[in-house]
Amino acid sequence: MITAERKPLEELIEYIKPFKRILLLGCNECVTVCSAGGRKEVGLLASGLQMAMLKSGNNIEIRQHTLERQCDPEYVEELVPMINDADAVMSMACGCGVQEIAMRFKDKPVFPAVNTTFMGASERQGVWAERCQGCGNCLLGETGGICPIARCAKQLMNGPCGGSVTGKCEISDDVDCAWQLIWDRLKSLGLEERYMEITPAKDWRSGGGSGPRKIIREDLAE
Amino acid sequence: MSFQTRLAAKDFIVLAEMHTPKGINISRLVNDASRLKGRVDAVVIPDMDNGIMRMSALAGGVLLQQQGIETIMHMYCRDRNRMALQGDALAAHVLGIQNIIVAHSTDMSESDHSDAKPVNDLDETELIESLGTLQKGKDISGFDLDGSPDFSIGCTLAPFSSDEELAASLTAAKAQIAAGATYVVTPPIYSEEGCSELLEKTKHLGVPVIATVFLIKSLAIAQYIANSEPGAKISDDLIRRIRKSSNREQEGIKIAAETILALKENAGGVLIQTLGWEHKLPDILEAAKL
Repeated sequence: MITAERKPLEELIEYIKPFKRILLLGCNECVTVCSAGGRKEVGLLASGLQMAMLKSGNNIEIRQHTLERQCDPEYVEELVPMINDADAVMSMACGCGVQEIAMRFKDKPVFPAVNTTFMGASERQGVWAERCQGCGNCLLGETGGICPIARCAKQLMNGPCGGSVTGKCEISDDVDCAWQLIWDRLKSLGLEERYMEITPAKDWRSGGGSGPRKIIREDLAE
Repeated sequence: MSFQTRLAAKDFIVLAEMHTPKGINISRLVNDASRLKGRVDAVVIPDMDNGIMRMSALAGGVLLQQQGIETIMHMYCRDRNRMALQGDALAAHVLGIQNIIVAHSTDMSESDHSDAKPVNDLDETELIESLGTLQKGKDISGFDLDGSPDFSIGCTLAPFSSDEELAASLTAAKAQIAAGATYVVTPPIYSEEGCSELLEKTKHLGVPVIATVFLIKSLAIAQYIANSEPGAKISDDLIRRIRKSSNREQEGIKIAAETILALKENAGGVLIQTLGWEHKLPDILEAAKL
Protein backbone atom coordinates (compact mmCIF):
# COMPACT_ATOMS: atom_id res chain seq x y z
CA MET A 1 0.00 0.00 0.00
CA ILE A 2 0.95 3.66 -0.23
CA THR A 3 1.68 4.91 3.26
CA ALA A 4 1.28 8.42 4.58
CA GLU A 5 1.60 10.41 7.78
CA ARG A 6 -0.50 13.39 8.77
CA LYS A 7 1.18 16.74 8.60
CA PRO A 8 1.53 18.77 11.82
CA LEU A 9 -1.62 20.70 12.73
CA GLU A 10 0.24 24.05 12.65
CA GLU A 11 1.17 23.53 8.99
CA LEU A 12 -2.43 22.68 8.09
CA ILE A 13 -3.76 25.75 9.93
CA GLU A 14 -1.41 27.96 7.91
CA TYR A 15 -2.91 26.50 4.71
CA ILE A 16 -6.54 27.07 5.62
CA LYS A 17 -6.21 30.37 7.52
CA PRO A 18 -7.38 32.55 4.62
CA PHE A 19 -10.55 30.48 4.04
CA LYS A 20 -13.92 30.17 5.74
CA ARG A 21 -15.44 27.03 4.22
CA ILE A 22 -13.26 23.96 3.91
CA LEU A 23 -14.08 20.65 2.28
CA LEU A 24 -12.00 18.03 4.12
CA LEU A 25 -11.61 14.87 2.08
CA GLY A 26 -10.55 11.40 3.08
CA CYS A 27 -9.88 8.32 0.97
CA ASN A 28 -11.05 4.81 1.65
CA GLU A 29 -7.99 3.10 0.18
CA CYS A 30 -4.34 3.02 1.30
CA VAL A 31 -4.50 5.99 3.68
CA THR A 32 -7.39 4.32 5.50
CA VAL A 33 -5.38 1.12 5.92
CA CYS A 34 -2.37 3.00 7.30
CA SER A 35 -4.62 5.15 9.51
CA ALA A 36 -3.54 8.44 7.99
CA GLY A 37 -6.46 9.75 5.98
CA GLY A 38 -9.58 7.59 6.20
CA ARG A 39 -13.03 8.52 7.49
CA LYS A 40 -11.90 8.29 11.12
CA GLU A 41 -8.87 10.54 10.61
CA VAL A 42 -11.00 13.04 8.67
CA GLY A 43 -13.28 13.34 11.70
CA LEU A 44 -10.36 13.76 14.10
CA LEU A 45 -8.66 16.36 11.95
CA ALA A 46 -11.89 18.31 11.44
CA SER A 47 -12.32 18.59 15.22
CA GLY A 48 -8.67 19.53 15.70
CA LEU A 49 -8.83 22.26 13.08
CA GLN A 50 -12.15 23.62 14.39
CA MET A 51 -10.80 23.85 17.92
CA ALA A 52 -7.53 25.46 16.88
CA MET A 53 -9.30 28.01 14.72
CA LEU A 54 -11.86 28.83 17.43
CA LYS A 55 -9.04 29.31 19.90
CA SER A 56 -7.56 31.97 17.65
CA GLY A 57 -10.96 33.60 17.24
CA ASN A 58 -11.74 32.28 13.77
CA ASN A 59 -14.90 30.45 12.97
CA ILE A 60 -14.64 28.10 10.03
CA GLU A 61 -17.04 25.66 8.46
CA ILE A 62 -15.58 22.23 7.70
CA ARG A 63 -17.53 19.74 5.62
CA GLN A 64 -16.22 16.18 5.81
CA HIS A 65 -16.39 13.65 3.04
CA THR A 66 -14.52 10.43 2.30
CA LEU A 67 -14.25 9.13 -1.26
CA GLU A 68 -13.97 5.48 -2.15
CA ARG A 69 -10.81 6.17 -4.14
CA GLN A 70 -9.46 9.69 -4.57
CA CYS A 71 -6.99 8.81 -7.33
CA ASP A 72 -9.82 7.73 -9.60
CA PRO A 73 -11.64 10.39 -11.67
CA GLU A 74 -14.84 8.36 -11.54
CA TYR A 75 -15.11 8.74 -7.76
CA VAL A 76 -13.88 12.33 -7.75
CA GLU A 77 -16.95 13.29 -9.84
CA GLU A 78 -19.03 12.66 -6.74
CA LEU A 79 -17.69 15.98 -5.35
CA VAL A 80 -19.34 18.09 -8.05
CA PRO A 81 -22.50 18.91 -6.03
CA MET A 82 -20.50 20.01 -2.97
CA ILE A 83 -17.39 21.69 -4.41
CA ASN A 84 -18.99 25.11 -4.90
CA ASP A 85 -19.88 25.34 -1.23
CA ALA A 86 -16.18 25.22 -0.32
CA ASP A 87 -13.57 27.99 -0.55
CA ALA A 88 -10.78 25.42 -0.43
CA VAL A 89 -10.23 21.67 -0.26
CA MET A 90 -7.96 19.86 2.16
CA SER A 91 -7.22 16.30 1.12
CA MET A 92 -6.08 13.51 3.39
CA ALA A 93 -5.39 11.21 0.43
CA CYS A 94 -1.92 10.44 -0.88
CA GLY A 95 -0.30 12.79 -3.40
CA CYS A 96 -2.09 11.01 -6.25
CA GLY A 97 -5.47 11.85 -4.74
CA VAL A 98 -4.56 15.47 -4.02
CA GLN A 99 -3.47 15.96 -7.63
CA GLU A 100 -6.60 14.33 -8.98
CA ILE A 101 -8.71 16.86 -7.07
CA ALA A 102 -6.51 19.76 -8.21
CA MET A 103 -6.78 18.60 -11.82
CA ARG A 104 -10.57 18.17 -11.72
CA PHE A 105 -11.39 21.42 -9.90
CA LYS A 106 -8.97 23.87 -11.46
CA ASP A 107 -10.23 27.01 -9.72
CA LYS A 108 -10.27 25.54 -6.22
CA PRO A 109 -7.24 25.73 -3.91
CA VAL A 110 -6.30 22.21 -2.77
CA PHE A 111 -3.99 21.46 0.16
CA PRO A 112 -2.44 18.17 1.27
CA ALA A 113 -3.07 17.13 4.86
CA VAL A 114 -0.67 14.19 4.79
CA ASN A 115 2.90 13.55 3.69
CA THR A 116 2.87 10.62 1.27
CA THR A 117 5.77 8.51 2.43
CA PHE A 118 6.44 5.18 0.71
CA MET A 119 5.08 1.94 -0.67
CA GLY A 120 5.27 -0.49 2.18
CA ALA A 121 3.79 -3.20 4.31
CA SER A 122 2.56 -3.42 7.85
CA GLU A 123 5.15 -5.06 10.13
CA ARG A 124 2.91 -5.04 13.17
CA GLN A 125 0.13 -2.90 14.62
CA GLY A 126 1.07 0.73 14.00
CA VAL A 127 4.35 -0.01 12.21
CA TRP A 128 4.82 0.20 8.44
CA ALA A 129 8.07 -0.31 6.54
CA GLU A 130 9.20 0.49 3.03
CA ARG A 131 9.22 -2.46 0.66
CA CYS A 132 9.08 -1.16 -2.91
CA GLN A 133 10.27 1.89 -4.85
CA GLY A 134 8.41 1.11 -8.05
CA CYS A 135 11.61 0.82 -10.10
CA GLY A 136 9.65 -0.68 -12.97
CA ASN A 137 11.83 -3.75 -13.41
CA CYS A 138 11.24 -6.11 -10.51
CA LEU A 139 14.30 -7.98 -9.26
CA LEU A 140 12.64 -9.91 -6.49
CA GLY A 141 12.90 -13.15 -8.46
CA GLU A 142 16.70 -12.83 -8.36
CA THR A 143 17.08 -11.60 -4.80
CA GLY A 144 15.06 -14.10 -2.88
CA GLY A 145 11.99 -11.89 -2.63
CA ILE A 146 13.80 -9.07 -0.80
CA CYS A 147 14.26 -5.75 -2.59
CA PRO A 148 17.73 -4.18 -2.51
CA ILE A 149 16.41 -1.00 -4.15
CA ALA A 150 13.89 -0.24 -1.41
CA ARG A 151 15.60 -1.87 1.53
CA CYS A 152 19.34 -1.29 1.08
CA ALA A 153 20.37 2.26 2.08
CA LYS A 154 22.82 2.36 -0.83
CA GLN A 155 20.57 0.54 -3.29
CA LEU A 156 23.42 -1.85 -3.94
CA MET A 157 22.96 -4.41 -6.66
CA ASN A 158 25.92 -6.45 -5.43
CA GLY A 159 25.86 -6.16 -1.66
CA PRO A 160 26.46 -6.12 1.15
CA CYS A 161 28.81 -3.19 1.76
CA GLY A 162 31.30 -2.93 4.60
CA GLY A 163 28.66 -1.30 6.78
CA SER A 164 26.76 -4.53 7.32
CA VAL A 165 27.37 -5.63 10.90
CA THR A 166 25.70 -8.67 12.45
CA GLY A 167 22.82 -8.37 10.03
CA LYS A 168 22.20 -4.68 10.63
CA CYS A 169 22.78 -1.67 8.40
CA GLU A 170 25.34 0.94 9.40
CA ILE A 171 22.72 3.71 9.24
CA SER A 172 20.84 2.30 12.24
CA ASP A 173 20.61 -0.77 14.43
CA ASP A 174 16.89 -0.71 13.68
CA VAL A 175 17.47 -1.35 9.98
CA ASP A 176 18.12 -4.85 8.75
CA CYS A 177 20.86 -5.23 6.15
CA ALA A 178 18.88 -6.09 3.01
CA TRP A 179 21.79 -8.08 1.61
CA GLN A 180 22.08 -10.14 4.77
CA LEU A 181 18.37 -10.90 4.38
CA ILE A 182 18.91 -11.74 0.71
CA TRP A 183 21.81 -14.05 1.54
CA ASP A 184 19.89 -15.79 4.33
CA ARG A 185 16.91 -16.29 2.08
CA LEU A 186 18.92 -17.55 -0.92
CA LYS A 187 20.67 -19.96 1.43
CA SER A 188 17.42 -21.30 2.81
CA LEU A 189 16.22 -21.79 -0.77
CA GLY A 190 19.47 -23.59 -1.68
CA LEU A 191 20.32 -20.84 -4.19
CA GLU A 192 23.65 -19.64 -2.75
CA GLU A 193 25.31 -19.81 -6.18
CA ARG A 194 22.99 -17.07 -7.41
CA TYR A 195 24.61 -14.71 -4.92
CA MET A 196 27.95 -15.14 -6.68
CA GLU A 197 26.59 -13.82 -9.98
CA ILE A 198 27.57 -10.20 -10.56
CA THR A 199 24.54 -8.07 -11.31
CA PRO A 200 25.27 -5.38 -13.93
CA ALA A 201 24.61 -1.67 -13.32
CA LYS A 202 20.87 -1.13 -13.16
CA ASP A 203 18.93 0.42 -16.00
CA TRP A 204 17.09 3.27 -14.29
CA ARG A 205 14.95 4.25 -17.26
CA SER A 206 12.06 2.18 -16.01
CA GLY A 207 12.55 3.62 -12.52
CA GLY A 208 11.75 7.20 -13.44
CA GLY A 209 15.20 8.08 -14.76
CA SER A 210 13.60 9.20 -18.00
CA GLY A 211 10.95 11.34 -16.36
CA PRO A 212 7.35 10.73 -15.27
CA ARG A 213 6.12 7.27 -16.18
CA LYS A 214 2.86 6.16 -17.72
CA ILE A 215 1.30 2.78 -18.35
CA ILE A 216 -0.84 2.45 -21.45
CA ARG A 217 -2.69 -0.82 -21.78
CA GLU A 218 -3.80 -0.97 -25.40
CA ASP A 219 -6.33 -3.68 -24.55
CA LEU A 220 -8.03 -1.45 -21.97
CA ALA A 221 -7.38 2.13 -23.07
CA GLU A 222 -10.33 3.90 -24.67
CA MET B 1 42.95 41.74 -19.02
CA SER B 2 40.99 39.00 -17.32
CA PHE B 3 37.52 37.90 -18.33
CA GLN B 4 36.11 39.13 -15.03
CA THR B 5 37.60 42.61 -15.45
CA ARG B 6 36.34 42.93 -19.01
CA LEU B 7 32.89 41.70 -17.98
CA ALA B 8 32.75 44.26 -15.17
CA ALA B 9 33.89 46.98 -17.59
CA LYS B 10 31.05 45.96 -19.95
CA ASP B 11 33.50 45.33 -22.77
CA PHE B 12 32.40 43.11 -25.66
CA ILE B 13 33.30 39.62 -24.48
CA VAL B 14 34.54 36.96 -26.89
CA LEU B 15 34.36 33.37 -25.71
CA ALA B 16 35.02 30.12 -27.53
CA GLU B 17 33.61 26.74 -26.59
CA MET B 18 35.83 23.67 -26.49
CA HIS B 19 34.91 20.17 -25.45
CA THR B 20 37.04 17.77 -23.51
CA PRO B 21 37.81 14.48 -25.25
CA LYS B 22 35.80 11.31 -24.86
CA GLY B 23 38.94 9.54 -23.76
CA ILE B 24 42.33 10.71 -22.63
CA ASN B 25 43.76 12.14 -25.83
CA ILE B 26 44.04 15.82 -24.97
CA SER B 27 46.28 16.90 -27.83
CA ARG B 28 43.48 18.31 -29.99
CA LEU B 29 41.98 20.27 -27.11
CA VAL B 30 45.31 21.74 -26.09
CA ASN B 31 46.41 22.49 -29.66
CA ASP B 32 43.14 24.12 -30.67
CA ALA B 33 43.06 26.17 -27.47
CA SER B 34 46.67 27.33 -27.82
CA ARG B 35 45.82 28.85 -31.21
CA LEU B 36 43.28 31.09 -29.43
CA LYS B 37 45.65 32.35 -26.78
CA GLY B 38 45.29 36.11 -26.52
CA ARG B 39 42.49 36.14 -29.10
CA VAL B 40 39.51 35.31 -26.87
CA ASP B 41 38.67 36.43 -23.35
CA ALA B 42 38.18 32.87 -22.16
CA VAL B 43 37.52 29.35 -23.36
CA VAL B 44 34.28 27.78 -22.14
CA ILE B 45 34.56 24.11 -21.22
CA PRO B 46 31.20 22.34 -21.10
CA ASP B 47 30.93 19.29 -18.89
CA MET B 48 29.16 16.26 -20.31
CA ASP B 49 27.25 18.51 -22.68
CA ASN B 50 24.53 17.02 -24.86
CA GLY B 51 24.58 14.08 -22.48
CA ILE B 52 27.82 12.64 -23.80
CA MET B 53 30.10 11.07 -21.20
CA ARG B 54 33.55 12.61 -21.58
CA MET B 55 36.46 13.93 -19.52
CA SER B 56 35.19 16.30 -16.86
CA ALA B 57 35.09 20.05 -17.42
CA LEU B 58 37.16 20.52 -14.29
CA ALA B 59 40.06 18.56 -15.79
CA GLY B 60 39.70 20.32 -19.16
CA GLY B 61 39.59 23.73 -17.53
CA VAL B 62 42.67 23.06 -15.44
CA LEU B 63 44.55 21.79 -18.49
CA LEU B 64 43.93 25.00 -20.37
CA GLN B 65 44.67 27.17 -17.34
CA GLN B 66 48.05 25.42 -17.22
CA GLN B 67 48.59 26.58 -20.81
CA GLY B 68 47.90 30.15 -19.72
CA ILE B 69 44.39 30.26 -21.19
CA GLU B 70 41.60 31.58 -19.01
CA THR B 71 38.72 29.16 -18.78
CA ILE B 72 35.08 29.10 -17.76
CA MET B 73 33.89 25.76 -16.46
CA HIS B 74 30.34 24.51 -16.87
CA MET B 75 28.57 23.07 -13.85
CA TYR B 76 25.09 21.57 -13.81
CA CYS B 77 22.96 19.37 -11.63
CA ARG B 78 22.17 16.18 -13.55
CA ASP B 79 25.22 14.13 -12.57
CA ARG B 80 26.34 15.36 -9.17
CA ASN B 81 24.71 15.89 -5.82
CA ARG B 82 25.28 18.93 -3.62
CA MET B 83 28.35 17.43 -1.96
CA ALA B 84 30.08 16.58 -5.24
CA LEU B 85 29.17 19.98 -6.76
CA GLN B 86 30.57 21.90 -3.80
CA GLY B 87 33.68 19.73 -3.72
CA ASP B 88 34.29 20.36 -7.43
CA ALA B 89 33.76 24.10 -6.99
CA LEU B 90 36.38 24.23 -4.22
CA ALA B 91 38.75 22.13 -6.31
CA ALA B 92 38.22 24.39 -9.33
CA HIS B 93 39.18 27.49 -7.39
CA VAL B 94 42.28 25.89 -5.92
CA LEU B 95 43.34 24.68 -9.37
CA GLY B 96 42.98 28.13 -10.89
CA ILE B 97 39.47 28.22 -12.35
CA GLN B 98 37.54 31.25 -11.18
CA ASN B 99 34.77 31.34 -13.75
CA ILE B 100 31.75 29.07 -13.68
CA ILE B 101 28.70 28.92 -15.92
CA VAL B 102 25.83 27.07 -14.31
CA ALA B 103 24.31 25.40 -17.34
CA HIS B 104 21.16 23.53 -18.23
CA SER B 105 21.79 19.87 -18.79
CA THR B 106 20.40 17.57 -21.44
CA ASP B 107 18.02 15.05 -19.94
CA MET B 108 19.58 11.72 -19.05
CA SER B 109 17.13 9.95 -21.36
CA GLU B 110 18.78 11.73 -24.31
CA SER B 111 22.33 10.98 -23.17
CA ASP B 112 24.67 8.24 -24.30
CA HIS B 113 24.11 6.67 -20.87
CA SER B 114 20.32 6.82 -20.96
CA ASP B 115 20.02 4.02 -18.40
CA ALA B 116 21.89 6.03 -15.74
CA LYS B 117 20.17 7.38 -12.66
CA PRO B 118 19.90 11.18 -12.85
CA VAL B 119 20.87 13.07 -9.69
CA ASN B 120 19.23 16.51 -9.83
CA ASP B 121 19.71 16.98 -6.10
CA LEU B 122 19.84 20.77 -6.60
CA ASP B 123 18.44 22.86 -9.43
CA GLU B 124 20.43 25.50 -11.28
CA THR B 125 19.17 28.38 -9.11
CA GLU B 126 20.06 26.50 -5.94
CA LEU B 127 23.50 25.68 -7.34
CA ILE B 128 24.15 29.37 -8.06
CA GLU B 129 23.02 30.25 -4.55
CA SER B 130 25.24 27.57 -3.05
CA LEU B 131 28.27 28.88 -5.00
CA GLY B 132 27.51 32.25 -3.43
CA THR B 133 27.34 30.59 -0.02
CA LEU B 134 30.78 29.03 -0.57
CA GLN B 135 32.12 32.48 -1.41
CA LYS B 136 30.85 33.69 1.96
CA GLY B 137 32.84 30.96 3.68
CA LYS B 138 30.06 28.46 4.40
CA ASP B 139 28.84 25.27 2.80
CA ILE B 140 25.18 24.55 2.07
CA SER B 141 24.74 22.94 5.47
CA GLY B 142 26.12 26.05 7.16
CA PHE B 143 29.49 24.66 8.16
CA ASP B 144 32.50 27.00 8.02
CA LEU B 145 35.04 26.62 5.23
CA ASP B 146 38.76 26.88 5.80
CA GLY B 147 39.27 29.57 3.19
CA SER B 148 36.59 30.59 0.74
CA PRO B 149 36.69 30.53 -3.07
CA ASP B 150 35.95 33.40 -5.41
CA PHE B 151 34.04 32.95 -8.67
CA SER B 152 32.38 34.88 -11.43
CA ILE B 153 29.14 33.05 -12.08
CA GLY B 154 27.10 33.02 -15.26
CA CYS B 155 23.87 31.26 -16.13
CA THR B 156 22.30 30.01 -19.34
CA LEU B 157 19.00 30.84 -20.95
CA ALA B 158 17.19 27.55 -21.58
CA PRO B 159 16.47 26.76 -25.24
CA PHE B 160 13.01 27.78 -26.42
CA SER B 161 10.93 27.30 -29.53
CA SER B 162 7.93 29.50 -28.78
CA ASP B 163 7.10 32.76 -27.01
CA GLU B 164 5.65 30.79 -24.08
CA GLU B 165 8.87 28.80 -23.70
CA LEU B 166 10.92 31.98 -23.97
CA ALA B 167 8.85 33.57 -21.20
CA ALA B 168 9.53 30.55 -18.97
CA SER B 169 13.26 30.64 -19.85
CA LEU B 170 13.44 34.35 -19.01
CA THR B 171 11.66 33.80 -15.68
CA ALA B 172 14.17 31.08 -14.78
CA ALA B 173 17.09 33.29 -15.86
CA LYS B 174 15.79 36.15 -13.70
CA ALA B 175 15.71 33.84 -10.68
CA GLN B 176 19.28 32.74 -11.45
CA ILE B 177 20.44 36.33 -11.77
CA ALA B 178 18.77 37.15 -8.45
CA ALA B 179 20.61 34.15 -7.00
CA GLY B 180 23.98 35.52 -8.09
CA ALA B 181 24.60 35.05 -11.81
CA THR B 182 26.26 38.14 -13.27
CA TYR B 183 25.77 37.35 -16.96
CA VAL B 184 23.61 35.12 -19.10
CA VAL B 185 24.52 32.96 -22.10
CA THR B 186 21.81 32.49 -24.73
CA PRO B 187 20.94 29.36 -26.71
CA PRO B 188 22.52 29.22 -30.19
CA ILE B 189 21.83 31.92 -32.74
CA TYR B 190 22.41 30.70 -36.28
CA SER B 191 22.33 33.87 -38.33
CA GLU B 192 22.03 37.64 -38.27
CA GLU B 193 18.24 37.31 -38.49
CA GLY B 194 17.99 35.81 -35.00
CA CYS B 195 20.00 38.54 -33.28
CA SER B 196 17.87 41.62 -32.82
CA GLU B 197 14.78 39.80 -31.57
CA LEU B 198 16.69 37.85 -28.94
CA LEU B 199 18.58 40.91 -27.74
CA GLU B 200 15.34 42.88 -27.53
CA LYS B 201 13.72 40.18 -25.43
CA THR B 202 16.67 39.75 -23.07
CA LYS B 203 17.72 43.37 -22.54
CA HIS B 204 15.55 43.78 -19.43
CA LEU B 205 17.55 41.07 -17.62
CA GLY B 206 19.94 43.79 -16.47
CA VAL B 207 23.15 41.78 -16.91
CA PRO B 208 25.43 41.29 -19.93
CA VAL B 209 23.86 38.91 -22.45
CA ILE B 210 26.41 36.73 -24.19
CA ALA B 211 24.95 35.33 -27.40
CA THR B 212 25.97 31.86 -28.50
CA VAL B 213 26.89 31.93 -32.18
CA PHE B 214 26.68 28.50 -33.75
CA LEU B 215 28.86 27.64 -36.72
CA ILE B 216 26.76 26.10 -39.48
CA LYS B 217 29.14 23.50 -40.82
CA SER B 218 27.17 22.17 -43.76
CA LEU B 219 24.00 22.47 -45.79
CA ALA B 220 22.65 19.30 -44.14
CA ILE B 221 23.09 20.80 -40.66
CA ALA B 222 21.38 24.03 -41.71
CA GLN B 223 18.45 22.06 -43.12
CA TYR B 224 18.27 19.81 -40.09
CA ILE B 225 18.19 22.73 -37.65
CA ALA B 226 15.68 24.64 -39.78
CA ASN B 227 13.36 21.63 -39.74
CA SER B 228 13.84 20.46 -36.18
CA GLU B 229 14.06 23.75 -34.27
CA PRO B 230 11.07 25.96 -34.96
CA GLY B 231 12.62 29.03 -33.33
CA ALA B 232 15.99 28.74 -35.09
CA LYS B 233 15.30 31.44 -37.69
CA ILE B 234 17.23 29.74 -40.45
CA SER B 235 15.45 31.21 -43.47
CA ASP B 236 15.04 29.69 -46.92
CA ASP B 237 17.28 32.48 -48.18
CA LEU B 238 20.07 31.42 -45.84
CA ILE B 239 19.76 27.79 -46.90
CA ARG B 240 19.79 28.89 -50.55
CA ARG B 241 22.90 30.94 -49.88
CA ILE B 242 24.73 27.93 -48.42
CA ARG B 243 23.53 25.64 -51.22
CA LYS B 244 24.73 28.00 -53.94
CA SER B 245 28.10 28.62 -52.35
CA SER B 246 31.12 27.08 -54.07
CA ASN B 247 32.78 26.75 -50.65
CA ARG B 248 30.13 25.84 -48.11
CA GLU B 249 32.55 25.53 -45.21
CA GLN B 250 33.77 29.06 -45.84
CA GLU B 251 30.19 30.24 -46.23
CA GLY B 252 29.36 28.92 -42.77
CA ILE B 253 32.32 30.79 -41.33
CA LYS B 254 31.20 33.97 -43.10
CA ILE B 255 27.67 33.58 -41.73
CA ALA B 256 29.01 33.12 -38.19
CA ALA B 257 31.24 36.18 -38.59
CA GLU B 258 28.33 38.28 -39.90
CA THR B 259 26.26 37.15 -36.91
CA ILE B 260 29.03 38.19 -34.52
CA LEU B 261 29.33 41.58 -36.21
CA ALA B 262 25.57 42.07 -35.96
CA LEU B 263 25.76 41.34 -32.24
CA LYS B 264 28.71 43.60 -31.57
CA GLU B 265 26.68 46.75 -31.10
CA ASN B 266 24.12 45.51 -28.61
CA ALA B 267 25.16 42.20 -27.05
CA GLY B 268 27.43 41.84 -24.04
CA GLY B 269 29.52 39.40 -26.01
CA VAL B 270 29.55 36.19 -27.99
CA LEU B 271 30.29 32.56 -27.29
CA ILE B 272 31.38 30.87 -30.49
CA GLN B 273 30.23 27.26 -30.67
CA THR B 274 31.67 25.00 -33.35
CA LEU B 275 30.94 21.49 -31.98
CA GLY B 276 33.97 19.64 -33.30
CA TRP B 277 35.37 22.31 -35.59
CA GLU B 278 37.36 24.12 -32.95
CA HIS B 279 40.28 24.32 -35.41
CA LYS B 280 38.13 26.74 -37.42
CA LEU B 281 37.80 29.19 -34.53
CA PRO B 282 40.77 31.37 -35.62
CA ASP B 283 39.20 31.70 -39.09
CA ILE B 284 35.89 32.82 -37.57
CA LEU B 285 37.66 35.36 -35.37
CA GLU B 286 39.57 36.60 -38.41
CA ALA B 287 36.43 36.92 -40.50
CA ALA B 288 34.69 38.76 -37.65
CA LYS B 289 37.71 41.07 -37.29
CA LEU B 290 38.17 40.06 -33.65
